[in-house]
Amino acid sequence: MRVVIGEGSCGVAAGAAKVHEALDALLTGNENFEIGSTGCIGMCFLEPIVDLYDGDKLARRLVHVSADNAQAIYDAANTGDLSKVDDITIKPEDEEFLNGQTRIALRHCGLIDPTSLNDYRAADGYEGLQKVLNNMSPEDVIEEIKTSGLAGRGGAGFPTWFKWNAARQSESEEKYLICNADEGDPGAFMDRAVIESDPHNLIEGMLIGAYAIGATEMIVYVRAEYPLAIKHLEEAMKQAREANLLGKNILGTDFSCDMRIKAGAGAFVCGEETALIESLEGKRGMPRLKPPFPAQVGYMNEPSNINNVETFANVAWIMNNGGEKFAAMGTEDSKGTKVFALTGKIRKGGLVEIPMGKTLRDVIFGIGGGIRDDKEFKAVQMGGPSGGCIPKDLLDTVIDYKALGATGAIMGSGGMVVMDESTCMVGMAKFFLDFTASESCGKCVHCRIGTKRMQEILTRIVNGEGKEGDIELLEDLCTAVKDGALCGLGQTAPNPVLTTIRYFRDEYEAHINEKKCPAKECTALLTYRIDADKCRGCTLCAKKCPVSAIDGERKNPHKIDPEKCIRCGQCIATCKFGAIVCE
Amino acid sequence: MEQIKIKIDGKEIVGNKGETILQIAMNNGIEIPNLCYHSELKLYGACGLCVVEAEGIPKLLRACATVASDGMDIHTDTPRVVKARRVAIELIMSDHEGDCKGPCVLNCPAHTDAQDYVKKIAEGDDREAVRIIKEKVPIPASIGRVCPHPCETHCRRALVEEPLSIAYLKAFAADNDLKSDNPYVPEKKEATNKKVAIIGGGPAGLAAAYRLAVGGHDVTVYDMMEEMGGMLRYGIPEYRLPKAVLAQETKAIENLGVTYKNGVKLGKDITLKELRDNNDAVLVAVGAWKGSGVYCPGEDKEGVLSGIDFLREVNQGARPDLGKNVIVVGGGNTAMDACRTAKRCGAENVYVVYRRTREEAPAEDLEITEAIEEGVEFKFLTNPAEILGDGKVEQVKLQIMELGEPDESGRRRPVPVEGKFETIDADTVIAAIGQKCLPDGLDDIELTKKGTVVADEQSALTNLDGVFAAGDATNRGASIAIDAIAEGNRAAEAIELYLAGKPLEFYEPYVSETEKTAEDFADREKLPRAVMAVEDPKQRATNFDSVIKGFTDEQARAEAKRCLECGCHDYHDCKLIRYAQAEPVDPHRLDGKKHECYKEQCLVTIERDQGKCMLCNQCVRTCKERIGEGLLGLVGRGFKTVIKPEFEGTDAIAVCKDCHQCADVCPTGALKILS
Repeated sequence: MRVVIGEGSCGVAAGAAKVHEALDALLTGNENFEIGSTGCIGMCFLEPIVDLYDGDKLARRLVHVSADNAQAIYDAANTGDLSKVDDITIKPEDEEFLNGQTRIALRHCGLIDPTSLNDYRAADGYEGLQKVLNNMSPEDVIEEIKTSGLAGRGGAGFPTWFKWNAARQSESEEKYLICNADEGDPGAFMDRAVIESDPHNLIEGMLIGAYAIGATEMIVYVRAEYPLAIKHLEEAMKQAREANLLGKNILGTDFSCDMRIKAGAGAFVCGEETALIESLEGKRGMPRLKPPFPAQVGYMNEPSNINNVETFANVAWIMNNGGEKFAAMGTEDSKGTKVFALTGKIRKGGLVEIPMGKTLRDVIFGIGGGIRDDKEFKAVQMGGPSGGCIPKDLLDTVIDYKALGATGAIMGSGGMVVMDESTCMVGMAKFFLDFTASESCGKCVHCRIGTKRMQEILTRIVNGEGKEGDIELLEDLCTAVKDGALCGLGQTAPNPVLTTIRYFRDEYEAHINEKKCPAKECTALLTYRIDADKCRGCTLCAKKCPVSAIDGERKNPHKIDPEKCIRCGQCIATCKFGAIVCE
Repeated sequence: MEQIKIKIDGKEIVGNKGETILQIAMNNGIEIPNLCYHSELKLYGACGLCVVEAEGIPKLLRACATVASDGMDIHTDTPRVVKARRVAIELIMSDHEGDCKGPCVLNCPAHTDAQDYVKKIAEGDDREAVRIIKEKVPIPASIGRVCPHPCETHCRRALVEEPLSIAYLKAFAADNDLKSDNPYVPEKKEATNKKVAIIGGGPAGLAAAYRLAVGGHDVTVYDMMEEMGGMLRYGIPEYRLPKAVLAQETKAIENLGVTYKNGVKLGKDITLKELRDNNDAVLVAVGAWKGSGVYCPGEDKEGVLSGIDFLREVNQGARPDLGKNVIVVGGGNTAMDACRTAKRCGAENVYVVYRRTREEAPAEDLEITEAIEEGVEFKFLTNPAEILGDGKVEQVKLQIMELGEPDESGRRRPVPVEGKFETIDADTVIAAIGQKCLPDGLDDIELTKKGTVVADEQSALTNLDGVFAAGDATNRGASIAIDAIAEGNRAAEAIELYLAGKPLEFYEPYVSETEKTAEDFADREKLPRAVMAVEDPKQRATNFDSVIKGFTDEQARAEAKRCLECGCHDYHDCKLIRYAQAEPVDPHRLDGKKHECYKEQCLVTIERDQGKCMLCNQCVRTCKERIGEGLLGLVGRGFKTVIKPEFEGTDAIAVCKDCHQCADVCPTGALKILS
């Protein structure tokens, strides 16, 4: 029996390495067993995950595994009595998480050993490349991509074939194919998962792209904060070079192209393609004016094509299965599948790949299992700090570029942050503005100063210092910044503000006019008091209060001094009689 | 080269294929605002000011970066464009910290460019200094001697040690110019053949006469007195302003072609109607020549004088016998002039009775000091309750006062201490509490309740067509000479518009200002204010000779060099302020926290004012692209981004070729060449 441990970053963060260590200690030397490692299956809420394979068949999927379970796993595997691990076996309802998905970009993730070229080849690895190099011209490849309808998965959703074609058309001795793996949206981690769990898939997709545009070099610009991804990719590149899949005369053809990794220092704006190019060139990461587009003047002033990791992750599959099959999935406007990183107040968080055309409800309530702790769904933030929020009323919105765009949100890179009734929408907008304002590169006026001003207004609103006219001023600024900012960062930074105003204007008004936070999240606007009828004078809250703001005699109702109270909420959590009221 | 046709704001123009919208616009004399564009630098696109709209293109286009295509129909002033540009400027201004003008200039009623002329004095160029002064003040030798100088009151040098002696510097430069072989004479514009009559040859009337004469108009000044100068001639005593100096300056104005008609009184010798009939415009600048009473029982007794009447008589050469004891009532400059003049007329004991304390007295503190030095006794917190005597003043009963709650002016209100009085002997009582306008001959001109002429604050126009008014005779009444000059200037401006048939529209352009504290100047060397040499008090109280002796050349140059140069060196060329002053920009609409603003030497002789730098990056790009050095760069991210020597390196200064190209391209005053 083969014991495979999920050791993507998320698994490791949940303790997979300790599980591996404990299993190693038990299994080493026992020839009946094999310990393997795989990447991320996407079920973050169940990590660490250990799969038991009987031959090629998945016999058991064990979840929330700890080192303490090692003995039971050993026993089960050794005796074949899998009932020994019943208590840590995945529940049927959690299995639904995977069953509801259609996996293309993530098709190997969590299933193969990312450090094994053989595993990748055994799946369907490099068949697409083989097919392309043997039977297709670059134009054919571009045509196939056009047929597939594949669009940029990094956020903008621009047709991939069009960019490839433009780069193909640019004549130059040097051309570059660049992979944008500078995944910067808070809450998005699909690119990391693909590189960590299936690095060869990225290499293969890029090779096909390089062949299509006539690139002379491939560069992966990846965040330095993704050490495991870099490690796996480096290993995969080494294997690929050894297998004549990278370098000169790939697979014995005339096609030559090599690849290198550039670790980025983590500036959000470097996810913008022209800023990424500047950074690659060793300059300060600041966007360039477009036109000229990178397809004409890119890295080192040469024609360059930049695609996101997830985009490339679809390419080999499309070549293998044909563009039509890809295009058969999805909607009129958006083809294929899209990976979403489902996070926030969701019951089952993780990576979800679904065909375009499903609804938000399908993802959040179907696959994601709804809201944690039986709370009310309030909104979902789509597309990270560049995206917008979509409220409850629009849960049946179909997932495609156009429909999501119509709500004021964006598909973006696929971040889906789910919020429940306890999330203040003004605070949420401020959270994202804090992020974009500090990540602005400082070049253009609208982004550098505009986001700062918006942030200041939002800050005063959540602090209860909002003024009449602030909403209108915000709207005014938002439109101007959208119109005036130089790059995508600034142009989309107002989206969280605009959509929260659009759907939750009443919350803004409550903060400004009544100095109240309906979600009871903005501490500056909360008051805590003790309901004298319910208080039994047990003194627990008074003991717990970190600032001694609660006073009263034993067996008599207590009181909170609003001057001293720091609104930490510890008293509410302590009170057994529900006597403390937060308003 | 292939040509293309495009339309900008409906106007068809031709450009070369491959040129951007901005290039074609500039080549055709169409201005599209921009701050980061430079024809010899690579495109940057940071400021967002050059946005335009083109028919059929949903997005706003940056004119600097968009290559024009044939047939493009471009608009530079659609509501969307105007709004986008407005927000861009407002955002920049919200993060801009700098003084366009120094507090000296802003607080001078006439906005005399003190910083500029002080600089010329420091450089030893008095003639140029006088040229700058005379743009606003045509009689600087006189004004420099008597002005209570709000410029000095607001001078930031006080945050280091003491304010600059700006007024005396003005007098210094003007005296030197008058003494020179070739005194400054302004260039006159071509004759317009328009006639303007000015009634009153005081500071307001003279200022207007000067400006209108320079403007090429035919100006006649009518004055009831025998000489021009108004209150400067008949109110201010000789020891403060020698009449010979004033006469030189009034003469210079006459020499510009202004006709002086003295001894002509409105309503008696000439009527307003006549003047209106025979002129294209009339300016009423008759001043406020009626003194006030003492406002207590007995004020009709013999020996009770009005301050301005008394001063006028003395200025006309009389030396009235005031008796042994003189009481002057009031705490303003007229009271000071009266008490010191009384002393000079031979009175033994001169008392100033003022109901508040020295702190609240409107008179200049220096004048109080000088009066005390000359033997005047101040009775603060007293007020005349009754003037006693048999037909003639013999004694004055003074009510003792104390200070109560502050009144609407912010000064603590004096209130009588019940039952507390003091009685002092007096032969003469001089009331110097205020002045009023005499409405003689003003016909149908609308007056205020106070009896002053109602003149529009902006245009100086009265209710009568073509009749303007300025100076002490208008609205709030008597004030300081420089106020009258400011009003005279404004009236002249309005009259010029009126004569040209243009609408009387005035627009006070916005200027950026900052607040400074002593901390901001903590590193400055303390250089005390120049002390003006004065005559010995005992000696000077016996005659009417000038009290001040004037600065020495050395003193004046050193004093002028103390100037902190608060105003921006680049105000006249600054593109940003020009945009910020344009409608509908509200430079403070988006105010918020500013990035860290400080000044630092960033290259060999270049000082960067981070408060004024708005990251157009032209200096960075110039150094890199045109000079080939690349010594400057952006440092930090987001809102905190600043331009500094690349990588915050100090060796940039060692490598810098000191070519000043960076400062030359700076569109604001952020980069200053250190001399």
